[in-house]
Amino acid sequence: MRLPDQVTGLFLVGLGAAAAYGGWLLPPVPGQPVGPNIFPLVIGSGLALCGLAIALGIGRTFEEEEEIVPLEAGQARPPTGRLYGLRALLPPALLLFYVAVADRLGFIITAALIVFVTSSALGARWKLSLPLAVMAPIFIHLIFSKLLRVPLPAGLLPMPW
Amino acid sequence: MLNTLIEAFALISTWEVIIAMLAASVYGLVIGSLPGLSATMATALLVPVTFYLSPIAAIATIVAASTMAIFSGDIPGALLRIPGTPASAAYADEAYAMTRKGEAELALGAGVWFSAVGGIAGTLSLMILAPPLAEIALSFSTFEYFWLAFLGLMCATLVARSSPVKAIAGMFIGLLVACIGIENPGGVPRFTFGMTNLFGGIEPIPALVGVFAVAQVMRAMLTPEPPPIPKRKFGSIMAGQWRLTKKYRWQMTRGNIIGIIIGVLPGAGADMAAWVSYAMSKRFSKEPEKFGTGHVEGLVEAGASNNASIASGWVPSLLFGIPGDTIAAIAIGVLYMKGLNPGPTLFTEKASSMYAIYLMFIIANIIMIPLGIVMIRLATYVLRAPRSSVMPFIMLCCAVGSFAIGNNMFGVVTVAAFGIIGYVMEANGYPVAAMVLGIVMGTMIEQSFVTSLIKSDGSVLPFFERPISAILAALAIGALIWPVLIWGWRRLKAASPAAAPR
Repeated sequence: MRLPDQVTGLFLVGLGAAAAYGGWLLPPVPGQPVGPNIFPLVIGSGLALCGLAIALGIGRTFEEEEEIVPLEAGQARPPTGRLYGLRALLPPALLLFYVAVADRLGFIITAALIVFVTSSALGARWKLSLPLAVMAPIFIHLIFSKLLRVPLPAGLLPMPW
Repeated sequence: MLNTLIEAFALISTWEVIIAMLAASVYGLVIGSLPGLSATMATALLVPVTFYLSPIAAIATIVAASTMAIFSGDIPGALLRIPGTPASAAYADEAYAMTRKGEAELALGAGVWFSAVGGIAGTLSLMILAPPLAEIALSFSTFEYFWLAFLGLMCATLVARSSPVKAIAGMFIGLLVACIGIENPGGVPRFTFGMTNLFGGIEPIPALVGVFAVAQVMRAMLTPEPPPIPKRKFGSIMAGQWRLTKKYRWQMTRGNIIGIIIGVLPGAGADMAAWVSYAMSKRFSKEPEKFGTGHVEGLVEAGASNNASIASGWVPSLLFGIPGDTIAAIAIGVLYMKGLNPGPTLFTEKASSMYAIYLMFIIANIIMIPLGIVMIRLATYVLRAPRSSVMPFIMLCCAVGSFAIGNNMFGVVTVAAFGIIGYVMEANGYPVAAMVLGIVMGTMIEQSFVTSLIKSDGSVLPFFERPISAILAALAIGALIWPVLIWGWRRLKAASPAAAPR
């Protein structure tokens, strides 16, 4: 997901300006020259300046060329396509899935689903991902819930310990 | 002195500390050796566990895991040419070339032996440097703290091997994240957008886990699986190491010293130490033409250097609460959590705990030799574990660990969000380490900045009036201008190409 520097730079200009403006709006502390507003103001302006510099291409010469590892014989070339790039969003999506359903389904079931999807997405066959989906949640539950006493949600399938 | 030492021994000779240290060592060795799972990530995922340990045991796990992980990053570097941690990247090619020449034992042995030596040298520097610096630091006011924190952030941007402008932008993003919440000079909700969860601000640890762990799983989704490692039998690993030590004692010492200096600098850590030392070794070598063909000299120097920087990176952390690198940033979080708030008084009030930290560093570096040898022998099996069976565990640890930090689900949301932020930043050449240090140091830098401004009644002049403050200011501003100078220098050189044969 390599975006042109102009795009990221201008985004930072916007972010910085918004932060500076947001800081400007904060109420000052009565009787003091500075308050909670000064820091966002400084940071925001700095960020906007950096964004401008990046958009103009300053400092590009310092960047190292991305090292392209030569494909070794027998190694499959990764498929390229618009949808393939979206796979990267799977891990954060799974974490949000955990937030959404863990309380209802319980830790074990949610975790099993996460493990199964992650390992399948990374190319595991079901012979590996299914046993993994059974074992990994129990193992993690043992460590965090039993040993460290983290209150993991029991949900539909409470563990016997 | 002797009493404190005995007290320190008593502190660390409990079963809890011993078991915690051993378990963390094994954990660090395994995570560090898996390509793509860095030492920082190993340490960050360990933090939720430290919540439930006693203060000394908690620090023991951090010390042991980070020390081991930095060494064991050398293993896949040597066997697969894929550095396990960024700190091993500087010499992964060299070590792999040695393996191809059939000298894998020598390369890995040098890794473990010179890492241990470097770690111990770094610890000695921590013991020697910290107390006198603490004396000086006692007279520091908010002005000095502001410049020191600023200098730390500038160093972090300087050492990032990317465009300095992008690094500074990354740092500003981190500082902006630190602005969120009501913990500010006015106590008003700032950038919370009415969300109660944001009132407490963004915790650094979930942000770290997101940036270093989730983003890594995201990258794994798009990159092909690294090639499986060929099975091999190893000969004696420590054979010949003593000979190397005698032959390359200057290189080793130089590596140690460079590592210590880079570690002490706030903001610069093990990766930088390894790169600088490797370059230095090549520059001053009697046989520079052998570099890159499987020559052990650079390995000695860089290996001695990156582990030295780990221990000395604790100097600014313990003294000022300013992290020497991202691992130290995590350590600071743990120190605060355990009531060992960083600061110069730590060395007088909690002297025995400080000695306990030194002792743990030395012990960790000594047990690294036997454990490291076992790890090298097992590496062929550990490295055969496919990514599809390791990454699911990382995912679960991210979810459960970030939940455990505050026992609330918002931590998990933070991790997911920072996973995306970290991934996008990295993909576009914005160094994430600069952002992380910005998040960790934001509150401190704002406090010292605003307090100083209130003291000076809004004037900027007093920032430069105190002597130490003026020196620190000069250094920090120098660090800011440095890239501009380099840029100008390159322009000049480009203008007269005949004058500069490289």
